[in-house]
Amino acid sequence: MTVGDSSPTELNYIAQYHHHSILEHQASSVISKRIRASVDVVWSIIRRFDEPQKYKTFVKSCTMRGELQPGCVREVCIISGLPATTSIEELEELDDEQHIMRYRLLGGDHRLNNYKSVVTLHAETIDGKPGTLIIESFITDVPGGNTKDDTKFFVETLVKCNMKALAEVCEKTSL
Amino acid sequence: SNISTRNAQVEPPNSAGPPLSGKVLVCGRRREMEDAAVIVPHFTQIPIVIGAEGTCDLHFFGVYDGHSGSQASNFCADRFHHALSEELATANVAADMEDNSEWKAVMKSCFLKVDREVGGVCPNGVCDNVDSSANCCINAIAPENVGTTAVIAVLTPAQIVVANCGDSRAVLSRGGTAVPVSVDHKPGSEDETSRIEAAGGRVIHWDGYRVAGLLAVSRSLGDRYLKQYVISEPDVLCVPRTKDDECLILASDGLWDVISNETACDVARRCLAHARRKYEHRRSEHGDDTACAQVAALLVKLAYGRGSKDNISVVVIDLKSGPS
Ligand SMILES: [Mg+2]
Repeated sequence: MTVGDSSPTELNYIAQYHHHSILEHQASSVISKRIRASVDVVWSIIRRFDEPQKYKTFVKSCTMRGELQPGCVREVCIISGLPATTSIEELEELDDEQHIMRYRLLGGDHRLNNYKSVVTLHAETIDGKPGTLIIESFITDVPGGNTKDDTKFFVETLVKCNMKALAEVCEKTSL
Repeated sequence: SNISTRNAQVEPPNSAGPPLSGKVLVCGRRREMEDAAVIVPHFTQIPIVIGAEGTCDLHFFGVYDGHSGSQASNFCADRFHHALSEELATANVAADMEDNSEWKAVMKSCFLKVDREVGGVCPNGVCDNVDSSANCCINAIAPENVGTTAVIAVLTPAQIVVANCGDSRAVLSRGGTAVPVSVDHKPGSEDETSRIEAAGGRVIHWDGYRVAGLLAVSRSLGDRYLKQYVISEPDVLCVPRTKDDECLILASDGLWDVISNETACDVARRCLAHARRKYEHRRSEHGDDTACAQVAALLVKLAYGRGSKDNISVVVIDLKSGPS
């Protein structure tokens, strides 16, 4: 996503919710997508921190520790063939009014240290019907042997793939 | 062209059976089995000479190494040889041809067909990249991030036609030497990196070289989300058969990551030579020859013993068996 493609509103949302203080050894980016489904439908799936496999096709299984609220931790098992097998993730914020979710990676077998993510949903009208603008940003350490660009490309590909899958699930529900 | 001027002896039309062969597949140290392999003797017929009557039988061998799920590899195991048979029915391929361009065209067409059917290539040309909003392929056989390699060998009376897409491999043992007859498609290879970068992608070293830091193969069937970069176009090689051919080994990288071509061929040669003396009446026509299966089992054990952490699949074809 290039900032030049975003509307003024989108840029405002990014400035308001998706600001990260990026240190020299870190990489960060913002990805957004428009989904042809209402914010309620999209939020109902996103907010399920305990069931990422509802739409994330890289997730094989997920085990939750604790109730679905800030502070809870999930252990995610990842499908084969990828450079990661597990991820341990903590929910930091879940705002059902403003549709904000923040979480961070605590550990697991992958190469993204100190990874943090912010996801926000914003109601929009798309072709005269209720739609959603989803914005997801991240910040993470750049692993040894890689560049900021490598890291950004890697995470952006994953996030885009997840967003495409999310759109497919939501749009199917909204038919 | 005249077949009788070649080194190879061509079997008379529809005569005694295919070369003897066998396969062994193991899950190994993985939790899931995502490899598949097939042996299909007599899978189709082609004319011996274009335009003339008289056909000969072809024999099909394939290894499919799936990743992120087994939907694509299992689909290939069921479907690939049928798709190839369909392509051959409308192609201009005969057993006596010296020009290999027809075989290459048939193979390319077949791989593309199977990749469309499994959901790697979007038939509408729209949804097979992560930036697209189109969702026409959500009910495809393979989810967008599931894929498979495919290395296939077709035996004609005078040739071995090998088509490869991915990092499974076919190696021929000929005159005591290991002759690789396919080239692995790895993201880290110069040619593949150039191709991927020209298409707007990136090869990133992230636990080994990977396309977008994710996929450890640079060509595959399936993998719709990376299809712009991870194409299914195969490399095709037509190898004239000779009397020095001993055996052909097709295997997934679970074998080749820990066993060299030379070691595999040495082991296969010695084991087969012993088995030919031991078993006088090897008659199997279904790809379940005991001797070949024993060779495959031995190779699998060797790979496992050397620490292979992957599924391991091996197909062994005894090229000294069958009519010659
Ligand atoms: Mg493998």
